[in-house]
Amino acid sequence: MEVGLKPGEISLGTTLIAVAFDGGVVVGADSRTSMGGSYTVNRVTDKLTYVSDRIYCCRSGSAADTQAVASIVTYYLQLYAIQHEEEPPVRVAASLFQELCYKNKDALSAGIICAGWDKHDGGSVFGIPMGGSMHKLPYATAGSGSTYIYGYCDTSFRQNMTKEETIEFVKTGVALAIGRDGSSGGCIRLAVITKDGVQRHFIPGDQVPALGVI
Amino acid sequence: MVSRVDVPKGGFNFDNYQRNLILQEKGFSLPKPTKTGTTIVGTKFKNGVVLGADTRATGDTTVMDKNCFKIHYLAPNIYGCGAGTAADTDKITKMVASQLELHRLATGRESRVATALTALTQFLFRYQGHLGAALVLGGVDVDGPHLFSVSPHGSTDKLPYLCQGSGSLAAISIFESQWRENMERDEAIELVKEAIKAGIFNDMGSGSSVDVAVIEKGRAEVCRGMEVPYPTIQKVDSYKFKPGTTAILSESFRNFVTITEGDAMDIS
Amino acid sequence: MSGKNCVAIASDKRFGVKYLTISMEFPKMFQATDKTFIGISGLATDVQTLMERFRFKINMYRMNEERDFEPITLANMVSSTLYERRFSPYFVEPIVAGLDKNNNPYINGMDLIGCSTTACDFAATGTPEDQLYGTCEALWEPNLEPEELFETISQTIMSATNRDCVSGWGAVVHVITPERVITRTLKTRMD
Repeated sequence: MEVGLKPGEISLGTTLIAVAFDGGVVVGADSRTSMGGSYTVNRVTDKLTYVSDRIYCCRSGSAADTQAVASIVTYYLQLYAIQHEEEPPVRVAASLFQELCYKNKDALSAGIICAGWDKHDGGSVFGIPMGGSMHKLPYATAGSGSTYIYGYCDTSFRQNMTKEETIEFVKTGVALAIGRDGSSGGCIRLAVITKDGVQRHFIPGDQVPALGVI
Repeated sequence: MVSRVDVPKGGFNFDNYQRNLILQEKGFSLPKPTKTGTTIVGTKFKNGVVLGADTRATGDTTVMDKNCFKIHYLAPNIYGCGAGTAADTDKITKMVASQLELHRLATGRESRVATALTALTQFLFRYQGHLGAALVLGGVDVDGPHLFSVSPHGSTDKLPYLCQGSGSLAAISIFESQWRENMERDEAIELVKEAIKAGIFNDMGSGSSVDVAVIEKGRAEVCRGMEVPYPTIQKVDSYKFKPGTTAILSESFRNFVTITEGDAMDIS
Repeated sequence: MSGKNCVAIASDKRFGVKYLTISMEFPKMFQATDKTFIGISGLATDVQTLMERFRFKINMYRMNEERDFEPITLANMVSSTLYERRFSPYFVEPIVAGLDKNNNPYINGMDLIGCSTTACDFAATGTPEDQLYGTCEALWEPNLEPEELFETISQTIMSATNRDCVSGWGAVVHVITPERVITRTLKTRMD
């Protein structure tokens, strides 16, 4: 049986999007961390978490659970990098997330997107929703805010977008979700992961595009 | 019956768990543990960290301690403010402080804030939120000043200013309206004092006086009772009873004997 | 309750189940070292179990270390013994009161999981805890001499227990001074 949040637990009612493009991935998230659905514990959270040099994970669900899982995966990937003398592939990172989330599904409430670049597959995105399944996808959304933007994603997503188009797609998606979802909000954080490394973007709250919702 | 060999095994003991469940079922209510319905805050400033706390500990609605100390020592350069179940914050910080001390002795290096943070989070995560300890962790190490918050479930946040406890809503309003980047030391202390006072006045679970800890490179200062907004009003007259007021049934004395050492015995 | 170079610790003597009184001579305090007492309130079985455990640990410490517990060390021992059972606690609330090696008063009250509260004035536990704190706040003042302290603590505990129907039935007071321990039993209401 899956567990929900424990009483008083801090959660990442979240909007997460990750999209692969030719040569890399763009991951984006809002920055709200709330407790009990009414109090914002942290309004500038970074839910895009480093797991290896060219792989990031996007965390949703319990803050404690996802942070713990991410740090365990980080550790295993460091070990992998040393033992195999190469950067770990994204699919390895995603499998580790999947393994941890599945084996501990009774104790965890974690919805994770694992995305990054590696020399084998280029940019790739894996969705690991609660329960611990793993899905390789051209793009993935997660978190409470994602429900509001399925329509947007379905209509606006195109194969073979450029990097700039992808960034715009992600940014608009998060902005739309922030507008509708009470548990998502604050700023937009983006990370563009390519062969050359990670480029971080930060869009402050007052510059988040106000779309649709007045 | 006490076991003859009482060797502590380490870790928690769950022997009374089933018994306590039965007792509670039968209507024997558990005494309430002391909580620190608290206001604790922390902020970074130009070259360090300021931590602040109120000094009230409560058991249900009774004030259990009017002047408790919530800024716990973790290392000479790291302190942590504790909110939640008082025993948990007390013991966890003590445990981590001893781990850090041993680590310093083994490595011969100054403790890092990240080390303390990792030790705390991993311990709290292991107990899945059953240890009710929320902390604001601050310190200065080789990488400069750091400020973190730790929740009972083991999640962490890294922010330039932080509040926790029942008075955190009052305290955060002070920070949100008045905090600036790169404050001077005195400004930061003043702001922390204001935030704690907002908690003391607006939150019933917080009260008494303001404790402050300032940590800078190579120096940490802890100030007990930096401000006492409402000192206890002293009695004008005395309520002393005359000896013999209380009727007694029996009386016994146990006198201490002072032994003065004599000359050393000749053992040649 | 602390005084000038002295401390006093007092308890009632009733042991009962709900409204039924079973004993009027139930010891709730014991002498841990020459100048330190531990008083425990709460579930009788746990009070007795813990008294035995503490007595054992105190004796072991005395034999291993060839010295007596200082009150603060004793309080830490009591605290960690209780915290060991954080998730299955003893239903007790102990108080440690004594004079340290410099004859300075030391008072420590604890909750059931070992959260220790060092007080410079007084500590109270038990069913009439709120009443005790009320009377303590009114009657206690700093620097009481041993005989004054005896009167204050006696009046405090009698006033408080008179308003709690499940405590009372006699009371014991120990006043610890650098020279002697004075033990007195009080004449109280027996209803």
